[in-house]
Amino acid sequence: MFEYMSYNIAPWGHEIVIYFFLIGAASMTFVYAAAPAVFGNVFGGIAKSMEPFQKTGLFVSLILLAICGPLLIMDLGQPSRFLYPILYFHWTSPLSWGSLFLPLFGLCILGFYYGSMKGNQKLMRWTGIIGSLLALSMPLYTGLDLMVHQTRELWSNPTIPLLFVILSMSSGTAVVAVIHFLRGQLDEQAAEFLHAFLYISLAVTFALFLAEWVVLNFGTGEKQQAWEIINQQFGFKYWGVTFLIGILVPLVLVAAPKIGRNPKVLTLAAVLSAVGAFSFREVLIYAGQLTQINF
Amino acid sequence: MPVGLQAEPSLGVPGKKRWAMVVDLRRCIGCMACVCADKAEYDVPLGVWRTIVKVKDTGHYPNTKRHFMPRLCNHCDNPPCVRNCPTEATYKHEDGFVLQRYERCIACRTCIAACPYNARHVLPKNRDRVKIGGVVDKCTFCSHRVEKGLAPACVQTCLGRSRIFGDLNDPDSEVSKLVARHKTVVLKPEKGTRPQVYYIKPERAQTEQVFAAPQSYAARSDSEAFYKHNRGSKFFSGVL
Repeated sequence: MFEYMSYNIAPWGHEIVIYFFLIGAASMTFVYAAAPAVFGNVFGGIAKSMEPFQKTGLFVSLILLAICGPLLIMDLGQPSRFLYPILYFHWTSPLSWGSLFLPLFGLCILGFYYGSMKGNQKLMRWTGIIGSLLALSMPLYTGLDLMVHQTRELWSNPTIPLLFVILSMSSGTAVVAVIHFLRGQLDEQAAEFLHAFLYISLAVTFALFLAEWVVLNFGTGEKQQAWEIINQQFGFKYWGVTFLIGILVPLVLVAAPKIGRNPKVLTLAAVLSAVGAFSFREVLIYAGQLTQINF
Repeated sequence: MPVGLQAEPSLGVPGKKRWAMVVDLRRCIGCMACVCADKAEYDVPLGVWRTIVKVKDTGHYPNTKRHFMPRLCNHCDNPPCVRNCPTEATYKHEDGFVLQRYERCIACRTCIAACPYNARHVLPKNRDRVKIGGVVDKCTFCSHRVEKGLAPACVQTCLGRSRIFGDLNDPDSEVSKLVARHKTVVLKPEKGTRPQVYYIKPERAQTEQVFAAPQSYAARSDSEAFYKHNRGSKFFSGVL
């Protein structure tokens, strides 16, 4: 006979973590690719520095999306029913909204690409604006998907959707920086543009990381339990990979006035921040499932 | 009305039924007959449960006590699993049941994450007899029996008469009388789920979330073996 039991565990495992990461990267990659058409001469035309990246960005975004969709479908117990969240749309479920927005986002990418092939600026602008909004909704819905679990206090927290959007900024910036760097297109203007986004996303991630620490330590019994689980089972991932490698080191790198905009340093910082973005999500998703397990 | 539900909460609504269960912990002897009846009624696979009886030992020899805590779906009046289901596969019945449409379920498992009572599980696809698989399942308060005027299987078989089932909106029902006359407790009321399984005389050690790790991982290893066995591939962690 056993005492307190752990039972009925249906894990959201690697697929969901990888999906959350990739959809965030795909989203922000598209936002960067569409930035010249969407923002034009706003902010002194700095978004124009992304013009050489436009077609590549669309292509990469589409590839990431093509990985994300099947990954999500394969995770379902009934993959053949993947359209049901749209066919039987349930408005209070973020999963339904995500399932609806995901193909629409894909259509916007294709529309934008078609517009760029035909030189249709109006189509590019509109698909860029709508696509960017849908792109932002992707990490937002993944965060909301956790946040709506009112009974899991690690997730039921309004910072989670914001955090996921910010983390997708980091991972998207990493994709763009690496591609720019490898193609030798990371000039001064592009570096300035990416640096600003990476700096903002890392600073906000740092602030939210501290907020998480405060909330969990000064929270209810369940939050304290979540904190214990994070430190016991995910200590290295949380403090080592997420905080040190994924937030602190890249933040110091981009904040350093003399080297922060150096293409190599910026690319390294962006890649490290993407590692942190993946790890942060992983810890939150897994640890959030483990609270209450002894109840 | 709470958002995202298919039927309004019926507790205390005149002319409506509100099926509920009272578990009198003074009478539970931990025989697990309810668990077996449930397994038999629904061919519940090894490694998952629709209902369980938790066992908790407190104290140190010679001052010890063993407590039993039957657990099942609480058929909440404000069920978060229903609100989060993207296909309305899990829905709220007007009589208070929280039920599952197997033909709609995509097994995204968001309802499992949403349930604070750990009352849901996934049915594997490779089942021998009952062919419903690859979907989420849970206790249904034996709605198919209740609709025919029978008691749920676990209630029917409970030899200590610890589990009592009935319409809480009917003042003459046994559950109404028990809830009215005894100090009853529901699990995790602070979660806002309005659960409808009432416990008489539970121990604090059983109703409060504890930090203590289980002393035995027998059930955990059963569970893990179940999910490993039913895993789709080595890399993917999906349970089917």
